[in-house]
Amino acid sequence: MNMLFLRKIGKTKMAESKFANLDFSLSLFDAMQKDNLSYIYRGIFNQQITDSILALTETNLQTEEQSSKMKKRVYAIMVEGLQNVTRHQNEKKIIDEDNLGLFVIKRTEERYYITTGNPTEKTSIPVISKLIKKINSLDKDELKVYYKQVLNEGELSNKGGAGLGLIDMARKSGNKLSYRFLDIDDVNTYFYLHTIPSLSNDENEFKKIAKNSLDNIVEIHNTLNKEDIRLIYNGILNQESLMGLLHTIEGHMSDIPDMKNKMFYIVLEMLQNIVKHGNNPTNHEGGNPGIFFISQKNGEYLLNTGNYISIEKVDALNEKMEYVNSLTDIELQDYYASSLMDFKINDEKKTGLGIIDLRIKSTNKLSYYFKPINNKYQFFALQIKL
Amino acid sequence: MDILKIEKTSDTPNVTLDSTNNLFEFSYRSLPENAIDFYNPILDWIEEYSKNPNNETVVDFKLEYFNTASAKQIAKVLLKLLEISKKAKVKINWYYDKNDTDMLASGQRYSKLINLEFEFIEI
Repeated sequence: MNMLFLRKIGKTKMAESKFANLDFSLSLFDAMQKDNLSYIYRGIFNQQITDSILALTETNLQTEEQSSKMKKRVYAIMVEGLQNVTRHQNEKKIIDEDNLGLFVIKRTEERYYITTGNPTEKTSIPVISKLIKKINSLDKDELKVYYKQVLNEGELSNKGGAGLGLIDMARKSGNKLSYRFLDIDDVNTYFYLHTIPSLSNDENEFKKIAKNSLDNIVEIHNTLNKEDIRLIYNGILNQESLMGLLHTIEGHMSDIPDMKNKMFYIVLEMLQNIVKHGNNPTNHEGGNPGIFFISQKNGEYLLNTGNYISIEKVDALNEKMEYVNSLTDIELQDYYASSLMDFKINDEKKTGLGIIDLRIKSTNKLSYYFKPINNKYQFFALQIKL
Repeated sequence: MDILKIEKTSDTPNVTLDSTNNLFEFSYRSLPENAIDFYNPILDWIEEYSKNPNNETVVDFKLEYFNTASAKQIAKVLLKLLEISKKAKVKINWYYDKNDTDMLASGQRYSKLINLEFEFIEI
């Protein structure tokens, strides 16, 4: 039944043939239905990126009813984790694509998962392992004592605080730290640090969860490396969260100014489209659920969004997309101008300029598909190549 | 006439509309979710000003980014200025970053559609 429906829709409403990473987009969409929030950044870390990640997560933390104690813990762990990645990415002079820093926060109904990743030299494996094993062997009070001891002795390198950071993360998480080293080459290794903040302490349950969730992160990381994906956001989109994402993009693109402007415009319109025209079949308030991801291939950027849309709006949107794609450059300019100067419809939702603008600014045809969900909603995915 | 001064936020511009000192400026960014609400007081101010405008009105647009919702409201602002230009001199200074050809293109589009004097200034 479902398949039949899909095929029927497929003939008329899918323009997916040119949609790159289609499988990935669909798998992300599946994940979107399961997780409440996930945010992944893979790249160079700097102050602006760190700030924007924190701000974005804070927005999301605010809109969710979690205990304020948990919020504070998540935030504190993120701060430490982001500092660690930023500090250690500088160790290697040459950063190649597979060795970029990684930050992942994921939230399901039950808990948060915070993961950082960075390359480091194999010689540091024993030091880090020993330290984490020691931290994990201590209880809450012992950790406090150990923290003070390390602080006083200042025993760790002047790069410093790495040890303190780890102890602090363990204290804030109320849980053990999980970690893994994966070989990069003879000299280098990739270090994952995985934290699951908890208010209760169930060690046995935690061990199992942590192993599985870290496996899952490593698997995702492999996909990110393979598809060269730099950023994924899956969560509630509203004006605040989209401003946070734009801030990250500005940080990420700061060394390519002409590309930065274009990407800013395009991402802004794509995300504001979701905020204004998307629909929300979930019971999470404060915006519309959506996904956004950026991949980079052969010097090209692919900007992707996905969101729910009411079934009754599908035909009109599909028609508009087809129409905009069919126009020549000159026709597009005329269409933009006439929509711009049409003040008869004084309804913010119907200006209709967004899609035309996206098509003009990207200078490429827009790729998109609709995927049926149920009798009320479809999933609409849009991809823009830069 | 009262001065209209709006301080920028992360997604709305600095706006100065000051007939006494003959200063008219839009700067920073205009990305609000609801552009109509943001621009309504601005349009009202210009409407009032158009009753007794200065001999010369030079409006500086120094925007880094604006969204399509703002694009439409900016068109309305320019149309109100067009009315003023029938009885007094009006000029638009359109600033754009040299890396941002889209901002230049947006200004050129307005200048084609609305018969006002435009100067394009690279920064």
